[in-house]
Amino acid sequence: MHNTQILSEVLERSAQRRDERRAFLRTAGSAVAIAGGASLLAACGDDNNNSAPTPTPSPTPPPTTGVTDADVLNFALNLEYLEAQFYSYAAFGTGLPSASLGGIGTQGSVTGGRKVNFTDPVVAAYAREIAGDEIAHVNFLRTALGNSAVAMPAINIDGSATGAFTAAARAAKVVGSTGTFDPYASDENFLLGAYIFEDVGVTAYKGASPLLTNKTFLEAAAGILAAEAYHAGLIRTVLYAKGVAAPSLRTAAGQISDARDSLDGTTDLDQGITSSDTTQSNIVPTDSNGLAYSRSTGAVLNIVYLNNAAVTMGGFFPAGVNGVIRTSGAN
Amino acid sequence: MTDTDLLIETMDGRVRRRNDRREMFRMVLGAAAVGGAAFAFSSPAAAQSVTDADVLNFALNLEYLEANFYSYAAFGTPIDASLTAGTGTQGAATGGRKATFTDPVVAQYAKEIANDEIAHVKFLRTALASAAVAQPRIDVGIDPNGAFSNAARAAGLIGPTSAAMPTFFDPYADDVSFLLGAFIFEDVGVTAYKGAAPLITNKTFLEAAAGILAVEAYHASIVRTVLYAKGVDTRNAATKISDARDSLDGSTDVDQGLGDATNSNIVPLDSNGIAYSRTTGQVLNIVYLTKAAVSAGGFFPAGLNGTIKTSTAQS
Repeated sequence: MHNTQILSEVLERSAQRRDERRAFLRTAGSAVAIAGGASLLAACGDDNNNSAPTPTPSPTPPPTTGVTDADVLNFALNLEYLEAQFYSYAAFGTGLPSASLGGIGTQGSVTGGRKVNFTDPVVAAYAREIAGDEIAHVNFLRTALGNSAVAMPAINIDGSATGAFTAAARAAKVVGSTGTFDPYASDENFLLGAYIFEDVGVTAYKGASPLLTNKTFLEAAAGILAAEAYHAGLIRTVLYAKGVAAPSLRTAAGQISDARDSLDGTTDLDQGITSSDTTQSNIVPTDSNGLAYSRSTGAVLNIVYLNNAAVTMGGFFPAGVNGVIRTSGAN
Repeated sequence: MTDTDLLIETMDGRVRRRNDRREMFRMVLGAAAVGGAAFAFSSPAAAQSVTDADVLNFALNLEYLEANFYSYAAFGTPIDASLTAGTGTQGAATGGRKATFTDPVVAQYAKEIANDEIAHVKFLRTALASAAVAQPRIDVGIDPNGAFSNAARAAGLIGPTSAAMPTFFDPYADDVSFLLGAFIFEDVGVTAYKGAAPLITNKTFLEAAAGILAVEAYHASIVRTVLYAKGVDTRNAATKISDARDSLDGSTDVDQGLGDATNSNIVPLDSNGIAYSRTTGQVLNIVYLTKAAVSAGGFFPAGLNGTIKTSTAQS
């Protein structure tokens, strides 16, 4: 089952079936047109206004801009380094072992990060669980990439006045323009700190899914996507539930969502944890078709660099990410 | 992006890059061997010869089930009749009712998930257009011999039933019963979409399916997080359901309960931090509630509509 032979066979079959696919596409494409444009195809754009008819679609650049599967997986690895370090410090007070950090590109160190003194033991258990998962993702991607794996770049997960978390929280107006946001200071701050990343991981993996050509990697990436969505669902559910007694948590989550949205361009790809009807939960950020959003790699980098311009470093990655995908979008 | 030629071009690009991919495989698989089994994937289904429409229709059947269950629980009605026609034999979703919620937050979650699942039905029906299958017969009732009761009995949540002493499971009775009923399906949806991902050839459909996969995982996470927080009894009940799913779908362990008081397990993952896959046959083992190879049963008394409809014979 797990051998090169079978994988190559699957690929061959996929090539043989191209004509079938084309026929299906044409059928599906025209059927959608008849149905009036509330279409599957429209759903895959960056716009959540999917009910708008699209009678004369204008081609936009395809997602395959010449990146290899290794490029995409290395992009993901950078994000996993960030998440794993944050959760590992929060849960255990230590970062990843140095054996898990080497690779191609400039290896950096971690600035900030410390153990959270959790009050709610359930939140502490969640932190340990997520930390374990994110460390597993780093190890998995490093093993999958082998000698192609990028090194961990410099990462800033500092909760001081000059740290990336504070910059993010100020941008989101969760704290004032001179305030400090320390995600290690309390259960609530930890949850909000986690919230800054979690949905971004989901949209990043979803956006990257069509870039992967290898079906084995694709299925693995789908499995990580699912894990990130479970994590995001967990964090959002806990914030929402705690928001019954502490409404400011729901407000802050909405502000962070808005800040992400203002960084990553004009399309609305993000949602807080309450709906426009504030008596209704919105744990799952979806478009009108009930689909999670996608972010391009550039949009993901806008958020982690905390910059809506086209830059190659900043925010949580002071020296940029390692690998060929490293430039944020110009928004 | 919405243009057929563009999609075809994208796919042609894929074919051209086959050699690159092969090289990547060898490299990666070699590395995996050295690293010790990073690639222990369970995807026998990847070799099946099915079309994208077959796969999306399989998913549509599951969405009919979920949408009807949540719609009954949140609103007291099945999904709108206008969403149920299509190819194959149309059936009704019967036996559900509005759930009795005590915790307003759980009621909100039910409503949110119901709307998401109805959106999935609409989305898949629009995508498939005239190829969409009809809603098959669906049992979401509380009869002692119905699907929910049989599932709960298989999990050991209720005892044997008899005419004199009937036992049943009512997922609409209260908050926890609703959450346990939801738990029966939710992770299954995640593993089904993940298992199906490599079967989908069209990149646009693939990205859409990834979007539904993510949403199912968010849903599963809500249900698992709330059950975990409600304490030891609900944790243990959920873990029994997980075990029952695992005993139906074959000898491999592709399911996990909620952990214990010290260590939560909200996210069911393998040692690589990756969610599990189920083949279509394994998914059908669970919703048909049988280890045998059959084409109807459990929540789908007349079977699924479409070409993928047979569960797998499990030892």
